[in-house]
Formats: sequence, C-alpha cells, structure tokens
Amino acid sequence: MSNRTTAKADVLQGTLDLMVLQTLNSLGPLHGYAIAARLEQVSSGALQLNMGTLYPALMRLEQRGLLRGNWGITETNRKARFYAPTSAGRRQLAREKDAWDRMAGIIHTLLHGEA
Amino acid sequence: MRQGDRMRVVREWLHRLAGTLLRRRCDTDLEAELQLHLEMATEDARSRGLEPADAVRAAQVKTGPASQAMDALRDQRGLPWLDDLARDVNHGLRTLRRTPVFTAVALLTLALGIGANTAIFSIVNGVLLRPLDYPKPAQLMFVTTEFPELGLTRNPLSVQEYLEFRQINQSFAAIGAYRTTGGAYATGEVNLTAGGRPLRVRSISVDAGLLSTLGVQPAQGRLFTAEETSRAGGLAPPLAIISYELWQSVFGGQPLVGQTVDVDGRRHEIVGIMPSGADVMDNHTAIWLPLGLPAAIRQNRGFHIMNVVGRLKDGVTPHAAQTELNALLENWDERTGSSSHVPTSRPAGAADHTLRIEPVQDAIVGDARRSIWIMQVAVGFFLLIACANLANLLMARAESRRREFAVRAALGASRSRLLRQTMTEGVMLCVAGGMLGLWLARVAVQALIRAYPTSVPRLSEINIDLFVLLFAFGVSLATGVLFGLAPAAQGRLRDLATALKVGGGRAADGGGRHHIRRALVVVEVALAVMLVIGAGLLIRTVYNLTSVDAGFDRSRLVTFSMTLAEPYDPDTRGPAYQRLVDKLRVAPGVLGAAVMSGLPPNRSPEAIPTRIENYTASDGSAVEIVDYYQFVMGDYFETMGVPIVAGRSFEPADAASPGRGVIVNETLANRVWKGRNPIGQRVRPNLSAAIGFGDDSWHTVIGVAKDVKQGGVEKKTGTELYVSLDQLAMAAPTMNVVLRTILPPAALSRTLERLVREVDPAVPIVRLRDMESVFAESIRRPRLLAQLLGAFAGLALLLAAVGTYGVLSYMATERRREIGIRIALGAGRSSVLALVVKQGLQLTIIGVVVGLAGALELNRLIASVLFGVQPTDPTTLAAVIMTITLVAAGACWLPAWRASRLDPNVVLKGD
Repeated sequence: MSNRTTAKADVLQGTLDLMVLQTLNSLGPLHGYAIAARLEQVSSGALQLNMGTLYPALMRLEQRGLLRGNWGITETNRKARFYAPTSAGRRQLAREKDAWDRMAGIIHTLLHGEA
Repeated sequence: MRQGDRMRVVREWLHRLAGTLLRRRCDTDLEAELQLHLEMATEDARSRGLEPADAVRAAQVKTGPASQAMDALRDQRGLPWLDDLARDVNHGLRTLRRTPVFTAVALLTLALGIGANTAIFSIVNGVLLRPLDYPKPAQLMFVTTEFPELGLTRNPLSVQEYLEFRQINQSFAAIGAYRTTGGAYATGEVNLTAGGRPLRVRSISVDAGLLSTLGVQPAQGRLFTAEETSRAGGLAPPLAIISYELWQSVFGGQPLVGQTVDVDGRRHEIVGIMPSGADVMDNHTAIWLPLGLPAAIRQNRGFHIMNVVGRLKDGVTPHAAQTELNALLENWDERTGSSSHVPTSRPAGAADHTLRIEPVQDAIVGDARRSIWIMQVAVGFFLLIACANLANLLMARAESRRREFAVRAALGASRSRLLRQTMTEGVMLCVAGGMLGLWLARVAVQALIRAYPTSVPRLSEINIDLFVLLFAFGVSLATGVLFGLAPAAQGRLRDLATALKVGGGRAADGGGRHHIRRALVVVEVALAVMLVIGAGLLIRTVYNLTSVDAGFDRSRLVTFSMTLAEPYDPDTRGPAYQRLVDKLRVAPGVLGAAVMSGLPPNRSPEAIPTRIENYTASDGSAVEIVDYYQFVMGDYFETMGVPIVAGRSFEPADAASPGRGVIVNETLANRVWKGRNPIGQRVRPNLSAAIGFGDDSWHTVIGVAKDVKQGGVEKKTGTELYVSLDQLAMAAPTMNVVLRTILPPAALSRTLERLVREVDPAVPIVRLRDMESVFAESIRRPRLLAQLLGAFAGLALLLAAVGTYGVLSYMATERRREIGIRIALGAGRSSVLALVVKQGLQLTIIGVVVGLAGALELNRLIASVLFGVQPTDPTTLAAVIMTITLVAAGACWLPAWRASRLDPNVVLKGD
C-alpha cells in the first residue's frame, strides 16, 4: 500500500528526483522503463527501481510541474508515456545539482580529512 | 528557493485534490503504463536468453508487484484520506439505511442528548458567560446591605448611606442609584396612558449618576441631568425616558422626544429614548423616571430604598474595593459623623447591617446560577448515558459484522482503515443527530422563554450564537468519537482471524469483550441513579414548598392589582378603594373582599424601624425593625382566612372610634413581648416611612394574627404589623385586591372590569389570577428545575433499562448452548430464569452503588436548591433504589424468560 522502495541499492532519500531529472535532461524525453533501465545501467545494476517507487515519483514530479508526461509511440511502435523536464524542472535540476555538489564536497572533506 | 519549493508542494497538493475530485488520470491509463513497463522488462529478460516463462517471472521480481504500484500511484494521484472518507461515508450511509430502526433510535437519542445539552448551554452562555451589554461591564458592582440577623441579603441602602459611601470611598469612578419601590411610583410600575389606552409598564426611578455609571447613551434625545434627579423639594420633575422596545411597540417608532405622555395621571415630557436592550439589573424597564427623594425619606436612615451601582476605577479589582469597604465599615460613624443605624463590619443586633459589593452580573444571575449548572450537569449525564447506550448498540451491531470486518481485513484493509470506518459511522450519526439536536434546542429554548418568561434572569439574551453552535458541534463530534471508538476498544479488530475461523461469528473469546459491555451498563445505571436521585430530591422539594402552611387559606382566592394615581391623593384614594370594596363584596359569586398593600408570598422585606412602648431592642435602641407592614381594608382576615390567635380582628366600628388599633403577627408578638400578653400594648407605626402619609401616632395592639409567609414559603417568617386603612381613611396608590369567591378568575374578569370602571374608567386591572397561581409563580424555579430534571431522569431511566436489556439479551444469547445443556440436564425453567436475572441484577447493584457514591459527591451542588429535605434523605434514596431495581428487574426479566423457554433440542442441534 505504501510506496516503500525495494531497490537493491537504497536510493538516498530525496535523490531519486534528482536522478530522474538529470536522466531526462541529458537524454531527452523517455518513458518510465527507459528511465529505470538507464539508472540500472549507470549504476552497473546496483540500482533497480521497482514500479511502485518509480511511477509515483514520476507522478509527484509531474504534479509539482517539474516534468510533463505525454503519450507517444516507441521505436517498437508501442504507445508509451514519455516524460520531459519542464523549464521549471531544468531550473530545479541546476539548483539541486549545485546543492548536491556542495554537500558532497562537505561530506567528502568530513569523511576523508582536510586533504 | 525555499519559497519556490513550497509553491511546488502546494501545486502538488492542488493536483492531488483535483485528482480526487476530478478523477484525473484514470486507472486504465495508469495500468497501461505499468503493463508496458512489465512487457519491456520481460522482453529484456528474453533478449538475455531466458525462456518465456522464466523471463516473465524475472521481470515480475525486478519490477515488483503491479498491484502495489497501482496502490501507490492511486495514493499519489489523489488525497487518500479524502478518498477513504468519501468511501466510508458512502458505505456508512448504506449501512445506516439497511438498519432503519437502529438509525432512528440512535438519531433520536442523540438529537435529544445533544439538543438538551445545547439548549442548556445556550442558557449557560447567555446568562452566565456572556458579559453584560455595557461598556467595560466587569467594572460594574452592585452595592447592597446585608442584615445577617434578619437573614436579608441584597437589600437596598438608605439614602444617607448611599450619599456617605459616594463621598468617602476611593475605589469607584462613578456611583449611582435607583429605586423601584416606595414613594410615589410605588411598585416599579406605572400607569401609562398612550392614545387613550391605559397601560401598566415597568418603571425605574434613577439618578443621573446611575446613567453615567452604566455608560448608557440615549438613542434619541438626552438623559436626565444631575439637577433634575436631586431636586431639593424631593418632587421629581415630570420627565421621562422610554425604552426602545416601548417606543416601537406602543408608539410605533413615531417621533416622540419633546412630546408628553400621562404617567400615573401626571403629564410627563419625554426627553429621550434608550437604545434597544438598555436595562438595569434585569428590571425589564420600559420607562425611566428621575429620582425624587422627599425629605422624610432622605433623612430616615432606617428606610432602605436605594439600589446602588458603582463603576470601579480602572485597575481596581472587586477584591480591592471590598477590602477598602471593609476598612470604611470599621469606623463608618467617625468618618461620616452619623451615629445611629450606620453600617458596621460586625453586625450583631437585628437592626445591624453591613455593606457588600459584588459584580452586577453575579447579582443579576443570583440564585439562578446554581440551578443552571445543575441542569447542565444533568443533561451532560443524560448525554453520557445516551453515548453508553449507543456504544452498546454499535457494539452489538459490530458483533454481527465481525465476519464482514474479518473478510475485509483478510483482503488487505488495514486495522486503522477499519477503525476509521466505524468512527465515520459514529461521527455521521452524531453530526446528523447534532443538527437535529440544534433544531430541537432552538425550539426548546423558545418554548421555555414563552412558558416561563421570568424563571431565568437575562432570558431575552439567550440565543443560539456562534459559541453555542461550536459547543453543539464539539459535543456531537466528541460523542461520535466516543461511541464510535467503543467497538474497536473491545479488541474486536485484534482477533479478526478468529472471527473467520469460528465461522458463525459467535466468538469463543467472549470474556474480555463482555467486560466493556458490562461496564457500560454499570455506568448507565450509575448515571441514571444520580439523575433520579436529583429529580427525586427536587420533587420532594416542590412538594414541601407546596405544602408549607403559608398562614392563610389560598383556595378559591382571586387577586388583582390596581393603581389609583394622580389626581388622587391619599385622602381621596381611601374612599375610592372603599367604594370598590363595597361593590365587590356584593358582586355575584363573591364571598368576601379586601384590599391589602403587599401580596404574599412575593413581598420583599421592608425593614421599617418602629417605636414600641416600654421596649428596648436587642441592640439597645428603642425601635424594633419590623420586616413587613401590611395595610389592609375591608374584612381582610376573614377574606384571606388568616386566623386571629388572640384578641380580635379589625371591625367596622373601629373606623369611628378615636383610638387606633393594630394587629401584630405571632413572630412580632413573641419577639417583642416574649410571652407576655401583647393585647393592649402600644406601638407607633412609622407610617411616613412605610406608606408616605399619615401621622405617627400611638396605636394599641388589639389582636395577634397567625404568621403569614410574606416573603416566600421557603423563607423564615418575618415580623409583621397590620394597619387598618379603614381607620386612616387613606390608601396607597397601588393596592392588591383579594376576593374569596366560588368563581375562577376568567369568569370574574368582566364583572371586575365593570366594577373598577365604575370607580374610575382610566384604571387598568393588572395581574388578575387566583392565589394558587401566585404561589406556583413564587416557586417557579424549583418547580421548573424539578420538571426538567424529572423528565431527563425518566428518559435516562428508560435508556438505562434499554441498555441493560440489550446487554443481557446478548449475554443470554451467548449462553444459549450452556443454558440448553442445563435444561437438557434437568434444570428447571425457574432456575434458568433466576440465573439470567441474577446476572443482570449484579450489574444493576454495582451501578446503584457507584451511583449512590456519585450522588453523595454531588451533594454540595444540589443542597442549596433543596427545601425541607436533605441530599441524603433516606426515604428518597430508598425510593430511588427501589425504582431502579424494579426497572432493571423488568429489563432483565424478558431476556431471562426467553432463555428459560429455550428448546434444548433446537439449541444443541443448531451449532
């Protein structure tokens, strides 16, 4: 009933939105399966999103106006829903990326000393 | 950036709301998306070389169950709780429609319970809680005298005391006074002639200080000036301010300021119109007159007529003001230079009095406060009983729905979901019941105001305002949660699996669940016991009040009031009343007629200092404070049926004889002459203070009359002096006529009107009624309280009986097998009957004991409204216990009888 994640590698809280936005931003409009496949590929199979995690996240991003989903045709001639970031989504991505970099830097310094 | 995020979240919730309400992105749409995902995953797996079946399985493992994803998507799409609520409401409506009897009973009890609570709370709110409609009402204090020895409280001040207090105190920013008794406008009522129609309206005489103290502003015209309300001669100028209500009802809202009206036969100029609702001390004032104080009244310290209202300075608390007053009382005589009859901090003698201040609101509400709170507690109890009963009903119903819940739980409904569903039903019932109750409360309060316009102070201010609405809503909701929770609380939802296993829904784990139902019965019985005891005590009180010997025979006695205002003077009034009495005496159906100045039992004590020959009062002074003077004309004692216990009554010959006689009551005779013969002793009635005319000459006591309850049947009898107006050949403006007659008031009214018209066509007859209703009126509050409490106690008893019956029936049904076996093994019908009845009576007895303990706790609340009966009155308690036990036995008997008729064959095969 609840949308609990069962990905092989735990998706760090709040990072799923960032990953989805980044994927769509760099690869253009994709359907849900393609997004999941891309993330799996990038993580060398460590990140396996089940549908119960991915699709509610997509819906949430769409409800927030960061994505737009439209029905289209795949290369194998199937009807699928393609997601693309809105301009607000792209701005959000840029901000989140900066914040992530800063935070990653801080964590890295903290964990591995002043070097 | 933060704000942007917040906007995004708001946007998400708006979408979700839209998702719920508009059903955006339908299920098939979502399913198609998931389906595609699964297919693609399967193809991928196959392309990695898996067999078709394995590929499907692998894809399913990887993507997770589609049903869960759908649930998550649905939750994300809309607002899950809103969806659930809509579904619960729908489901609840269907369930309630399926069981119309349950629904009707539940709604009715709830409407009654919530309605009663709302009605009483609207009284609590309007009378006790809502501040008075003056600027800064908390600063207004009522200043009164108290005569502890005479048992008088909230008594007026003398004029001198009032002026002195105004002079020497530091706590008050403004002080004013009014009077509604004594003097020219004798009764707080005046004859008002408007357009040829004589009217009797409530009046008040005020000084300018009072109006500025209250802070009222006229709606039109002006108020009185200080000069107008303190004329040296004591005769008030003929000016009047009328109430907004009178202006609207009698004068139709026409321009009026500057015109004149007849008030008690004298032309008065209307200088102003008060704003709507303006009043003093709940006097229901229709006309405001300037205060006039004749020198005799102004100088006489024994004449207590000034009702004093003060406004505290900013920042001064009532407590600080009382502290200052206490200090003043320590040496009032030194501060003011007056010595006789001054207020003191330590009153000891009969004439000694002290001063007290209290908030005006408390003074207005007075003794009604206690009664109102008692009612609120009573209806609160009633609602609790209703709740317990409904919880019981709901639990019984949940029992039959065990399977339904078990199936739904097995299908994946969470425990909290099921709980929410039962709660939704409870709250729905309560909201519907609450709305019905609100309507009921409105109707009830209006009916109450119509039926008992004077039973509660500030009655006109009672209405259903936002606060009351909130209260009703809160009570409904709390009720719904309370009894909606009950079925869940018994642990039903914990053991859902067992319900499925045992199949029929008859659970094996009965014990624990029954505890709650038994407890509910005990609570119901206990609360009912408390209510019935309260009602019983009040009914005893009313009975005691009605059976008090008031000192005269009030059967077949009819009375009315009338006023002979100007141009009459004392000397012309006497003969006019005399003519009326002569006419009345020979009227058809009339056995006797008399006229008296004060109407028992509704008089307020006058406390008139009276000289008595060769007598020194307990405080060393030569005067005795006499509580009541009764001025009478005609065959007073014969007509009223007041026995003369010694000496003789007034006789027609007395009028001609030069010596004047008075009659005293037993209490006065015992107080003054202490067992010696009072006949032939001499007193000097203070006629000028008591009635405003006549010379204070010596009178001889010619008789002793039996005590009459002048000031109320529940009060201590005061001292009383009877003066014959036949001898004085004078009369006060307003007198009460009393007739001993074989006819009811209605049949007499035409004759009476004709006879009064023959004496003076401009004089209205006021308050024509029989003496029984005068008495009923004097005990209206305890009577009303007894009636209301009795009604609720009766209903509570009924509910408790229904509750006991329901639980017992249920428990008997649960024990069918056991009882069947007992019967099969040879147990007699009567022993089975006793078995079940015993089970019920045990609960009842526990309830009665708990209820008795609770009633003892509540003693303090009710003790002060009782009369002639102790809160622990054994007779009442025994009667209540008997009643409750009988009712409970009745409630137990039916299920027991049914159990004893069980056919063991049917029962034992049935399972």
